[in-house]
Amino acid sequence: MIVLGVESSCDETSVALSKDGKVILSNVVLSQMELHAMFGGVVPEIASREHIKGITAVFEEAIKLAGVSVDQIDLVAVTQGPGLIGSLLTGINAAKAFAFAHDIAVVGVHHIAGHIYANQIESEMQFPLLCLVVSGGHTELVLMNRHFQFEKLGETLDDAVGEAYDKVARVLDLGYPGGPKVDALARRGKLTYPMPKIDLGEGYDFSYSGLKSHVINTLNTLKMKGETVRIEDMCASFQASAVEQLMIKSRRAFDAVGAKQFVVAGGVAANAHLRDRVSDVFSDVEVLVPPLKYCTDNAAMISIAGYYQYRFGNIDENDDFNGYPRMHLERK
Amino acid sequence: MSMSSVHLVIDTATAYLYIALFDSENKLIEEVYEEGNNDHSVKLMKRLKQCFSKHDLKPSQIAKITVGIGPGSYTGVRVGVVVAKMLAWTLEVPIFKVSSLALLASGADQTGHVLAWMDARRGNGFYGRYEVSEDSVQIVDADKYGEMARVREKYNYDFELVMAKPRVIKVLKSELVERVENVHELSPVYLRETEAEQALKDQ
Repeated sequence: MIVLGVESSCDETSVALSKDGKVILSNVVLSQMELHAMFGGVVPEIASREHIKGITAVFEEAIKLAGVSVDQIDLVAVTQGPGLIGSLLTGINAAKAFAFAHDIAVVGVHHIAGHIYANQIESEMQFPLLCLVVSGGHTELVLMNRHFQFEKLGETLDDAVGEAYDKVARVLDLGYPGGPKVDALARRGKLTYPMPKIDLGEGYDFSYSGLKSHVINTLNTLKMKGETVRIEDMCASFQASAVEQLMIKSRRAFDAVGAKQFVVAGGVAANAHLRDRVSDVFSDVEVLVPPLKYCTDNAAMISIAGYYQYRFGNIDENDDFNGYPRMHLERK
Repeated sequence: MSMSSVHLVIDTATAYLYIALFDSENKLIEEVYEEGNNDHSVKLMKRLKQCFSKHDLKPSQIAKITVGIGPGSYTGVRVGVVVAKMLAWTLEVPIFKVSSLALLASGADQTGHVLAWMDARRGNGFYGRYEVSEDSVQIVDADKYGEMARVREKYNYDFELVMAKPRVIKVLKSELVERVENVHELSPVYLRETEAEQALKDQ
């Protein structure tokens, strides 16, 4: 079964083709990152305009690279949400028009389901599994007892962890996107700045606004005192605290539910410190971390998720689906 | 009824969803003009499928596409343009573009010099000046963005038009329809930079 995936939820226009939920035949990603960098973050209207400019060329390249003909495509899978609505709608309508032209079924895929299924590309998911979803918009723990069944155990009560990284990077003048820069600088830093203990009790929820505010306040205080900020140390101190919160909750939830695998998904899964900590904290269990190239937004993961959604998920809805800026993973 | 090939016309730049289908003899066989509720993104493909199944047509019978490329609602116009662009590319058929304001002007019940415009908030509008005759539409001045109170003062025209079902035949016969040579390059006409781009320039 050949699935064509489409992803356009933020600032990447991507089309990919995959076979039998496993083999990536092609994965073309047109990134707008440089364009948005000059604005210090993604500008939704610019993102939408860029998606419509590039969409057919990306389709063409992906199909060409996959070496298949259009009539071999069995299913179209497109990110339905969550994300920027104007961006989502461009991808959804492109996908629906393509599917209509060739009489192919189309499914709307949850963006986070895509990130989770990025782990299925080079490994084999085994259930029950506990997945830590970490990105610019998400921080959550998801339990899966079988394919395409998602149970959210906890989530951030305020900022997503990736969002906190970006905000800290902004106040440190590191530019956008800040996450990878904080991670790189932290490698050379020491844990010299005290960070608050974020304790949300026994549950599996997260919180990042307190940590973010603490960094901002510390920087302001140092500035007022005329002291120099050791940026590497600040990044290291912030990052250690941010990741530790993830690890404490993840391990606690993992042990409580008796999962077989610990899985990491989302853009922050590319974070080197997080990867290190995961292999320490979960050294006794099987861990899946997506290959770096599938951590950021891409259509390969959407096509894989689409395959499993088609086989195991809820596909009784017709293809009149809309895009949604917010969307529950459990619904799928 | 079945026919060999069809010409598909789409415009989604206004509050109304517009679809027209012409047969190979240029006879109008189907027309949809439906007020939307910010839902062109769901309705366009749905209505398109209904039109095709009603006339027992297959997408492979599309021989030509004409699309309204704005100006108008940014999100709205993108729906029609991305669908038209995708169909034209993947079915390998010629695609033509036309101003959504020209389509609006064509809907005038009267003939004469019309100021066709769409609200762009805060007293501003996207406007175009067209000369509407019995069987055609001609452009008087290129579509622009501006403050409508000043536009009204500045120009002489016979009447204004803000909403009308296109008399699409008039437009298709005119010189306002332009062939898109490279479908990959087709994008809507926004007439305005985004607020972020303007702010960056103002710095």
